[in-house]
Amino acid sequence: MNSHLDLRDVSVSFNGFKALNALNMSVRKGELRCLIGPNGAGKTTALDIICGKVKPSAGTVSFDGTALQDLEEYEIARAGVGRKFQVPSVFRELSVSENLEVARARRTSVLGNLRWNIGNTGRADVERLAELVGLTDELDRPAAYLSHGQTQWLEIGMLVAQDAELILMDEPTAGMTAQETRKTAELFARLKGRHTLIVVEHDMGFVKAIGDVISVMHMGQMLAEGTAAEVEAHPEVRRAYLGSGGISHA
Amino acid sequence: MPSHVSHSSGLQRLIAQLAPLLIVCAVVFALPVLLNNDFLLNKVARYLVLGILTVSLGLSWGFGGILNLGQAMSFGLGSYAMAMALKLKTVPVHTGASGLPDFMVWNNVQHLPWFWEPFRSLSFAIAAGLVVPALVAAALGWFMFRGRVTGVYVSIITLATMVVINLVIIDQQSYTGGFNGITDLAQLEIFGVAFDAYGRATYYLVAGCVLLSLLVAFAFTRTKAGLIVQAIRDHESRVRYFGYDVALYQIFVFALSAAIAGLAGMLYTVVMEFASPTFLGVQLSLSVVVWCAVGGRQSLVGAFLGAVLVAGMQGALSESAAFLETWTLVMGALFVLVVLFLPKGLAGLAQVVLRWIVQRRQAAGRGVAQGVGQTEGST
Repeated sequence: MNSHLDLRDVSVSFNGFKALNALNMSVRKGELRCLIGPNGAGKTTALDIICGKVKPSAGTVSFDGTALQDLEEYEIARAGVGRKFQVPSVFRELSVSENLEVARARRTSVLGNLRWNIGNTGRADVERLAELVGLTDELDRPAAYLSHGQTQWLEIGMLVAQDAELILMDEPTAGMTAQETRKTAELFARLKGRHTLIVVEHDMGFVKAIGDVISVMHMGQMLAEGTAAEVEAHPEVRRAYLGSGGISHA
Repeated sequence: MPSHVSHSSGLQRLIAQLAPLLIVCAVVFALPVLLNNDFLLNKVARYLVLGILTVSLGLSWGFGGILNLGQAMSFGLGSYAMAMALKLKTVPVHTGASGLPDFMVWNNVQHLPWFWEPFRSLSFAIAAGLVVPALVAAALGWFMFRGRVTGVYVSIITLATMVVINLVIIDQQSYTGGFNGITDLAQLEIFGVAFDAYGRATYYLVAGCVLLSLLVAFAFTRTKAGLIVQAIRDHESRVRYFGYDVALYQIFVFALSAAIAGLAGMLYTVVMEFASPTFLGVQLSLSVVVWCAVGGRQSLVGAFLGAVLVAGMQGALSESAAFLETWTLVMGALFVLVVLFLPKGLAGLAQVVLRWIVQRRQAAGRGVAQGVGQTEGST
């Protein structure tokens, strides 16, 4: 009842295709929730609905009592929702430190930001963030020159910089090496508790390493929820993944 | 103390970024000493004004990613604001002091229209020359950026808006002087200083405005808002999900750019001694884009120099017998070459050359050090 984020009967369709069909989901404060499911299950669309990129045709999204479904994207962000995209999205022509500085959205109004850049506390903050995501040596390089894994980390660092209460991560480890994935899992473990996280992932090893509760989506609906072991044993889940070699190979 | 180190390196970077701007302005201010020719000085002042106009486009295009093909609209509005004030300062032949401007008499206008009335005050006219273009841009920007219009559509809308205003000015001959524009103006006079188009005072006024507009634009790009505007250029929606109202930032940079263009327009009237619908014409507006691209749109000083050099070249070519007919072709070819081979313009080229020199020098330094090491080893 007293949940942090609540999706109630959320539906959305694209040209007649029901991407979400009366989806229900609730997440507690400080939880790290993993969202899995076969391709086309509606995982990314669920994140799009929460952060306002897509408007639901029916249903409500409430976050700490605020109805998000009618707000603009920037208003949802100000309410405390951060989003990492599946395709790493950073400011390519800006340096790593400038990327982090933009993400530190302490003030959001134009006139409030008409002051000269950063200060010593801001710079120290940016350096601390860069260290957190292992980009200290790249601070002054344009983001365009980073490797794929580094770009992913930069965007994760930007979300930490934004300091949103609820962070939505869409496939944060896509394209990372095994070692990079492990470091990302460690980072997420540190974020857990301070932030509420919803992570869409395909890598079951990663999901098992970080997740408390796993939500499985299928055909735009919530199929099952529980620990990794519970979910894997769930007959409906086994059927949904039938033919793809089971959940661990999805 | 790492924070102290980064702070001083930040200061060094600021000085390094400011250096080209100050050097260029120093040259601009020193020019009258070398150039003892009032006619040429007026010509240079004209190119400097076009430089300010191009800086304003660099701000919205290079930094904000908003390619405004109607930048000359703001320029023209500023130019007319100044011309209206200076026209009212003349003593008309037919109606005597503080009477109707001559072209209104020719068009059988009986009373000075209400919107001309406040232009009896020069302060009002100067304020209007800055504020009216900014407000028009903000209103246009409100519709475009709230509606999330981007890219080529912004260019089409801005160009079309400029053409509409241009046609209205030509059509409303009795109030605007129509196709002839507003001519036969009084001299600008501020605090007892008269600004003769061919005098040094005018040149220094223009040079001061060059410095002012470059500094204002530079200061803006160094603020956090300026950084956010550049982030919007790179990835608009990403900025939105950090909680910034993207449209407001776009409107702000668009209006700031228009105000600087309005300042340039006012100066242009002073330097040219008239205002004309061609000041907000398609040809000028597109030329500004070429100058900006040639100079380097992501460098304010680059955009300024691009305008002065290319407009100067245009002037020289169009007056020379050999290129009388073909100078537009030369300009077109230049634009194509720059877009193909120098995407960051002359400023980008200068950066590459500077970096190359620094690397050569460092390599030479290392070579000497190695040489010393070897001789030490051999002894």
